[in-house]
Amino acid sequence: MTSIDVKDLTKEYGSTRAVDRLTCTVEPGRVTGFLGPNGAGKSTTMRLVLGLDRPTSGTATVGGHPYTALREPLRTVGALLDAQAAHDSRTARDHLRLLAVSNRLPARRVDEVLQETGLAAVARRRIRTFSLGMRQRLGIATALLGDPPVLLLDEPANGLDPEGIVWIRHLLRRLAREGRTVLVSSHLMNETAAFADHLVVLGRGRLLADTPTQDFIEQHSHPRVRVRTSDPTRLRATLLAKGYTVAEDDDGRWVVEDARAEQIGAVAAREGIPVLELTDERASLEQAYLALTTDEAEFAAAAPASPTIPQEA
Amino acid sequence: MSVTAVLHSEWIKIRSVRASFGSLLAVHAATLAVTLLVYATVGRAEADNGNDPVFGAFYAINFAQIAALAFGATAVSSEYAGGALRISLSAVPRRGLFYAAKTAIVATAALAVGLATAFTTFLVGQAFLGEYAIGLGEPGALRACIGAGIYLMLMALLAAGLTFLLRSAVLVLSLLIPFLLIVSFVIGDVAGGAAAYLPDRAGQQVLYQTPAGDIGPWTGLAVTALWAAAVLLAGGRAVHRRDV
Repeated sequence: MTSIDVKDLTKEYGSTRAVDRLTCTVEPGRVTGFLGPNGAGKSTTMRLVLGLDRPTSGTATVGGHPYTALREPLRTVGALLDAQAAHDSRTARDHLRLLAVSNRLPARRVDEVLQETGLAAVARRRIRTFSLGMRQRLGIATALLGDPPVLLLDEPANGLDPEGIVWIRHLLRRLAREGRTVLVSSHLMNETAAFADHLVVLGRGRLLADTPTQDFIEQHSHPRVRVRTSDPTRLRATLLAKGYTVAEDDDGRWVVEDARAEQIGAVAAREGIPVLELTDERASLEQAYLALTTDEAEFAAAAPASPTIPQEA
Repeated sequence: MSVTAVLHSEWIKIRSVRASFGSLLAVHAATLAVTLLVYATVGRAEADNGNDPVFGAFYAINFAQIAALAFGATAVSSEYAGGALRISLSAVPRRGLFYAAKTAIVATAALAVGLATAFTTFLVGQAFLGEYAIGLGEPGALRACIGAGIYLMLMALLAAGLTFLLRSAVLVLSLLIPFLLIVSFVIGDVAGGAAAYLPDRAGQQVLYQTPAGDIGPWTGLAVTALWAAAVLLAGGRAVHRRDV
C-alpha cells in the first residue's frame, strides 16, 4: 500500500523553523485531517513531501520513494496546493490536458475529471473567468487526474459553496473507502470532524497529536452530562455532596462536569430523584483542538475564546 | 519519465497561453509588416546609398528581435504567474528535465519561426527593390538568412534564461529592450572594442556581407550563443536550487 512517511523532517527559512523534526505516517484507507493554526507548517510539509521545497534535514517519502524519484508522479500522488496556481489565461481543459500529456495519462481522464468535478460545461473557458469555487474544483480535478492512490489536499473546501462542501466531504470519504491515502489540511474544525478518521495536528512545526479523531476529541475534552430533573434542589445537593461540579444552564438544565450519563443516572436512581432528561455531551473537534493548541498558537490574536461556546451548525 | 511527453506538454503550454503564442507569431507578423511598409516606400531610395547590401535587407530583424525576446520571456514567465511552477514541478519533479524541455521547446519554436521570418523578410523586401534587388545567390545572403534565424533563437533563449533567473517577464523585458534599443546602440558607438562583444552587436555580424569589425559572422553568432548559454546556465542553477 502507498503511505506517506515523514521522518525527522525539518525545514528552516533563515532563523525560523517552519517544520521541526516532524515524524508521522499517513496511512491508506482513511482520511487524515491535517490540522494546526496558521503558520504551523502544514503547507510547508506538503511542499516538502512533493519535493518542491528542500528539507533542511530529514526525509519525506511516498510509498517508500522520494517524490522526485517517481517515474510518472501524477499516477501516484495527486496534490491540491493552491487554487490560484493554474495559469489564468489557459482554459481549464488545456490546463488539465498539458498535465495529462506530461505523465502520459490517457486523454479521456481529462474529460472524466472535468465531469466528476462538475466543470464539464466550463471546460473551454479561460481560468481567469472562474470563481474561487470553480478554481477549487479545477484544483481537485488536477489532483484526481492521474487516478492516484495518494492525495494531498491543502484546504480543499476553501471557497466552495455549501453544496460544494457536502460534495467534497462525500468525495473524500469515497476516496478513502477505495483504499487511497488521503491527507487533507483544513482550518475548519467541524468540517474536518465530518470527514477525517484520523488527525495529525501540528503546532509551530512540531507534531502535537497523531491519533484517531474520536480518541483525540476524548483526550482533549472533559466529559460532561446535562440533566433535567423535577427536583433540582435535591439533585444539586446530592451531586455536590458526591464531589461533582454542578451548574445550571440557561434552559434550566444542570450541567455536571467530568461525569458520564451512567454515573449521574445511577446516583439519581439510588436517591430516587426523578430524571426527565439525561445526556452525555460530546465535545466538538473544535473544542478539543482549541484546548490543545491554545498554548501553541503562534499569534495571541488567534487565541480562541472560551471553549464553552456552542458548536456552530 | 518520457522526454517526448514532457516536450509535448511544454509545447501545449506555449500554445495555450496567448501572450507566449502571440509573441511567437508576432516575430513573423511584425517583421513582415515592417518589411512591407519600409521596402515598398523608401526601399529603392535607401538601396543605392552604398551600405552593405545584405545588411540592408534585414532592417526588419530589429523588430523581430523584440518579439523574440517577448516570446522567450513570456514562455517562461507563465510558470511564475501564481504558483504555476508548483503544478509543473509536481507533474515533472526532475527539475533538470523540466528545464531542458522548456528550453528546447523555446529554442525549436524560435528557430523555426526565426528562419521562416529571415527568409521571408529577405525575399519580400528584395521584391520591391527592382534593379537594386539581390538574390539568395548574392555572397553572404544565404548565410545571413540562416544566421538571422539562429540569432532570433538565441535572443529568445537569452530572455528565457533571464526570466528563469528573475521570475518576471516585465522585469526582463524592461531590462533587455532598453538595452538593445539604447545602451548597446550608444555604447556601441562610443566604446568601440568591447562593445562588439555585446550579444546583439556580435550576433548581428552574421547579417553583413562583409562584417566590419574583428569578429567574423559565425564567430559573432557564437559570442551571442555564449551569452545565451551563460544566462541559461544561471537560470538552470536557480531553478535547481530554489524552493518553489
